[in-house]
Amino acid sequence: MSFIIPIGPQHPALEEPENFRIEVKGEEIVNVDLRLGYVHRGIEEALTRREYIHGLFLAQRVCGICPAAHSLAFIQAVEAVGGIECPDRARYIRVIAAELERIHSHLLFAGIAAHEIGFTTLFMLFWRDRELALDLKEMLWGNRIHSSETTIGGVRWDIKPNHVPKVLNNLATLEKQVKHYIDVVSTDRTILARCANVGVLTKHVARELCAVGPTVRGSGVNWDIRRDDPYAAYKEVPFKVITERDGDVLAKVMVRLREVLESIHIIRYALDAMPSGPLRVGFKGSVQEGEATGRIEANRGELLYYLLSKGGDKPERVRIRTPSYANISTVKPMLVGGTISEVPIVLASIDPCFSCTDRVTVVDRGTGKTRIMTKNDLRKLQK
Amino acid sequence: MPRIQFNLFKNLLRKPATVKYPQFKAELPERFRGKPINDRERCISCKLCAKVCPDRAITYDEEIKPRFFLGLCIYCGRCAEICPVRSITMTKDFELATYNKIEAMSR
Repeated sequence: MSFIIPIGPQHPALEEPENFRIEVKGEEIVNVDLRLGYVHRGIEEALTRREYIHGLFLAQRVCGICPAAHSLAFIQAVEAVGGIECPDRARYIRVIAAELERIHSHLLFAGIAAHEIGFTTLFMLFWRDRELALDLKEMLWGNRIHSSETTIGGVRWDIKPNHVPKVLNNLATLEKQVKHYIDVVSTDRTILARCANVGVLTKHVARELCAVGPTVRGSGVNWDIRRDDPYAAYKEVPFKVITERDGDVLAKVMVRLREVLESIHIIRYALDAMPSGPLRVGFKGSVQEGEATGRIEANRGELLYYLLSKGGDKPERVRIRTPSYANISTVKPMLVGGTISEVPIVLASIDPCFSCTDRVTVVDRGTGKTRIMTKNDLRKLQK
Repeated sequence: MPRIQFNLFKNLLRKPATVKYPQFKAELPERFRGKPINDRERCISCKLCAKVCPDRAITYDEEIKPRFFLGLCIYCGRCAEICPVRSITMTKDFELATYNKIEAMSR
């Protein structure tokens, strides 16, 4: 007889509590069950009760790591319904904001991945260099994370010529460091032992589960909204879509680190190619009837906002599809067949707004007993 | 591990990457948005700031001048942006923790 004791998945300090029910036979994982929905905050409903210009600030706060992506997707949907044309200079500034955010988010992930395999030194180094990107955000838009740089019809602050030297300087340091880290990650024995051939997601399965973003690019699927459905100024910016073939955890880390280098190139190009001109066009507060989607490549994959308007200053319906939600089902094929000690790094490898993964239930098939394990227990197991 | 030993030795000779916060403070950038304050002399009581505030953190006192409740404020700077006479400014004051809710109010 087995009992499952649901020790509350609420964790006020973390963003996204989730429950993974993992069935084991000895050390081997035979089945994985996911439970989602512990953090239903009612944001979609709240967005329909706010004016567009107020809802923008709420949309930014859906995620604590990618506010620029969420605001951009929301703004794109509103601009598509309202027929608002964003000025050229603002489109380039949006690209710079999105890429700076990608840099800090990918380095955050890389640090967490290093931490999960017990390599705390590398974690510290990654997070130290992440500060270079955050400093730039703070200098350009006033805040480290919730910079609220975009607004409906343009951007709020300009990038002035006296900002450019510091941006280029920090990016040069960052590029040097990230190249060094790529070298370290691809050759270090500790990392290879823990990450290579662990949690493999094959190309076929990744396609079937509709995974998005770096998760799917790590499995060799060449898919990037920035190239395939360009928004902001991505049409005019040349860049490579990074893919890796192996589909294991190492490939997912490498995809993200190489994307950081690509983002640095994009920012340099955008700073250089940025046309002068107005920053924003006026937005009257209300849009006409219609529906639209805003679709962008956020740090973790495709982010989609659907917006239905019946006229007036409030939307009738807003639907958000976040990349972590699309990716979470890939956890099952990645985990089944592996061992319990792989669980933290495999769960971390999809970068699931990480706090998803803090509690695991282990069902032992041999004895039929159920244990609830916290992440700290798992860390002890893997040492 | 052996691959980053070079970094370890380099970091031994380097000063820390962090700032020891309460004793020393990092310099805040020019566009930093802290506690909003209102110049009461210049304010024309147009009520635009309350209209654009996403959190409805702005209410009015008896002289119809804005009052910012910092417990709700998200420091987006919309009020300072919209103000027609530029009487609202975002200061660089960010150490706003308090035990008393009434103190979390800015005029």
